[in-house]
Amino acid sequence: MLRLIGRRLLLMVPTLILASILIFALAEVLPGDVGRSILGPYATQEQVALLNHKLGADKPLYQRYAVWAGNFVTGDWGESPVLKVPVRPTVMKALGNSMVLAGFALLLIVPISIVLGVFSGLRRDSALDRAITVSTLSMTVIPEFVSGVVLLYIFAVWLKWLPVTAMPPQGSNFFDRFYYLILPAIPLMFLELGYIARMARVGTVQVLAMPYIRTAVLKGLPRRRVIFGHVLRNAMVPTVTVIGSQVGWLIGGLVVIETLFVYPGIGKLMVDAAQTHDVPMLEAAVLVVAVIYMVANLIADIIVALLNPRIRMGG
Amino acid sequence: MSDDQYRRDYAQHLIEQVNKGQMTRRQLLVRASVFGFSATAAGSLLAACGGSSSGGSSASPAPSGSSMPAPVMGGTIKMIGPAPITEPDPVTIYDQGGIVLVYQFLEYLIDLDDKNGLKPKLAESWTANDKIDVWTFKLRSGVTFNDGSPFGAEDVVTSFERILNPKSGSGALSQLGGVLSPGGTKKVDDLTVEFHLDKPFADFPYMVSGGNYNTAILPRNYNGNNTKNPVGTGPFMMKNYVAKQSASFVKNPTYWGKDAAGNQLPYVDGLEYTMVEDNSAQNLQLQSGAVDVQPQTVFQGAQALFADPNLRVDIYPGTGIREVAFNVTKTPWQDKNLRQAVAYCLDRPAINKALYDGRSNLGYDTFWEPSVFAGSPPSTPRAQDYTKAKQLLSDGGKSAGLDVTLTVAKYLENPQLAQLIQAQCKPAGINVTINQLSYTAYYAGSSSDYYGTTPWINAAWDITEWGSRPAPGIYAAAMLLPKAVWSSSHWNNPDFVTAFNQYESTVDEATRTQLATKLSQIQQDDTPIMVPFYITQLRTQKKNVYGIQGPGSFYCDMSQAFMAA
Repeated sequence: MLRLIGRRLLLMVPTLILASILIFALAEVLPGDVGRSILGPYATQEQVALLNHKLGADKPLYQRYAVWAGNFVTGDWGESPVLKVPVRPTVMKALGNSMVLAGFALLLIVPISIVLGVFSGLRRDSALDRAITVSTLSMTVIPEFVSGVVLLYIFAVWLKWLPVTAMPPQGSNFFDRFYYLILPAIPLMFLELGYIARMARVGTVQVLAMPYIRTAVLKGLPRRRVIFGHVLRNAMVPTVTVIGSQVGWLIGGLVVIETLFVYPGIGKLMVDAAQTHDVPMLEAAVLVVAVIYMVANLIADIIVALLNPRIRMGG
Repeated sequence: MSDDQYRRDYAQHLIEQVNKGQMTRRQLLVRASVFGFSATAAGSLLAACGGSSSGGSSASPAPSGSSMPAPVMGGTIKMIGPAPITEPDPVTIYDQGGIVLVYQFLEYLIDLDDKNGLKPKLAESWTANDKIDVWTFKLRSGVTFNDGSPFGAEDVVTSFERILNPKSGSGALSQLGGVLSPGGTKKVDDLTVEFHLDKPFADFPYMVSGGNYNTAILPRNYNGNNTKNPVGTGPFMMKNYVAKQSASFVKNPTYWGKDAAGNQLPYVDGLEYTMVEDNSAQNLQLQSGAVDVQPQTVFQGAQALFADPNLRVDIYPGTGIREVAFNVTKTPWQDKNLRQAVAYCLDRPAINKALYDGRSNLGYDTFWEPSVFAGSPPSTPRAQDYTKAKQLLSDGGKSAGLDVTLTVAKYLENPQLAQLIQAQCKPAGINVTINQLSYTAYYAGSSSDYYGTTPWINAAWDITEWGSRPAPGIYAAAMLLPKAVWSSSHWNNPDFVTAFNQYESTVDEATRTQLATKLSQIQQDDTPIMVPFYITQLRTQKKNVYGIQGPGSFYCDMSQAFMAA
């Protein structure tokens, strides 16, 4: 397995190179340029041209990419020409914030959705199964900007039980941070609950139909042992794969939640960078999220292989 | 003629104009402020006219927070608004987030009051020569920057030379273009500066006011390091700036300002500004009590703020517009009949009701709108008239109908305005297709020829949002003159240009009114752009917050703000 893990890690390198080239090229086709983003629509053409020249933004794409890539691999992530802040600490801080939010959300989402999904699968076609399926799927279809606003209004504005933002004031203790994350995590739970619970249910139903489960029951194993020893272990395979694929989104794709709850995460950072042609910031943020995405999937594959040794990791 | 003699003569002229009924009291106050009369001096002029000084119609409702308790010292006011798009360099800022931050620690020669009038700030007085092409500004003495260095004429000269240098990238270069050139700002002595203009310009003081936000006075050795080592003369000092998140300010202990009772300003110890892009999120923070002040409140979604018993929404006479520009170089808008036809399709009160709950001022496609800019001649209202619109379409050879495309950014209430125009044009046989672009795409353009390619200047028909401008002449210079780089209409009317140059070359109010009447008529008749309304500005604060100065929106002077117990 170690060889396979090493191979997957090595494969990340060409993937990241390809991604970095794509980002550079895509940033090029976005309307406008960095000089115009900095000086705004009221600056003259001459002023913008002067600034683009000063920033090197008027050089050919391949030259700019070569300079950026050369610096990036040596650890020099550069400075944002738009925000005039160093890229690496800005991206890493935003990433840290996003990982905290994603981690907290996963702590809520994973156990609840697995319990609901497995319970639903074990009670297949019962009223409870239908109730769980319908309610979790209903929550999933509510966009986070709707559920977020409603939750904010009820719990922060009306009842004043929870804070209106996701970041605690400076000097707050460790537990305060989680208190501030409760409200933004709930819309994420709504979005993910139905999806993951559905996968857990499907996995459970499929495993329950397997001959080895029938054999286990027929040879008189207690129901609890059948479920925990055989059903859960095998039913989790598709669920873990889905969770792994969602980690990347939970870290890099929470633009709406970050905007609504005023949370300085990496999703909003990427959108802002794309809108202002802040290529160094955009490149670094996207590549970091890409690494997280790939590592999360790798970890999911390792867990799947451990859960079911018959499954070997693909290349 | 000496400055004092000139001011005495001008004052006498203003008094005579009022006594002859050729000028209202409100007009007198506005013109007096443009020519550098203090509020006290302007009050004396009104008294000299006889009668009460409260006469004259107010352009717009006064801020509702006018009954103020006694100031309370101390505390920190928490503000909320959008983040600056870029690092907020005062030389190049162009967005709300940048302007509201710069306003706290930098100052201008002249400030704008609650009704877009002028009030002295770093300049104590200003006068023009007879030709109105040389303006002399007397600077305030005893002012220091917060790094201890003294403020003087050298700082003013370098500040203006900097923004007039193309390398600085300042948008003020376009704003001042054709009026003030490099080398035109001259130091007379340590506290006197002269502006030698390229042409007479009676509204020049507005161009060096806070309304032209890139003209903030910076120290002579300013090196662009604005957020790491911010230096200014303003009431606050920027203590901390985290891009896209927050900024905090502490009071400037050496600030020169004092209130009428002699108390040192600012009243509060500091400000905290939280950067939030989304209006709904901003409003929720206000309603939850997490923040105290929202410098600019947008109408969409503000109903909950009006209804909140803990908040006060102040209403200011805004001058911002949505310019609905016909590109007169593109088909079919070369024909003014067709432009007028569209203008007569608009039900302006209905638009005002739909977009602003009826709280904005109606516009009739001219900048000289008396309900907004005091001193403007009466404009001719344009009511919806489909019979006339159809006749104009027929005169334009389009009796069978007209198919046109309206380009609009998905920004603020612009898409809704486009939809209203679309619906109101249909009964006349004008079929409007809406081309909705993202904000970025609407303002994008090629790197090599931005103004030749960007949609906001080159679409055949489009809607562009304009923030407040303090005088009709400033608007006209920015978008209706042939060389105006921000002209979406590409309009070139020689009669208008001639009259405009005359208008900005005279201080005689009777002549100015005559010329304004002519300009207004030409603009309205030719209809290069439609101005259906002038947007009232809203500012929301907790009910215990008082004393915020400025004409609404992000021009937000917090030096006299305080939180009552």
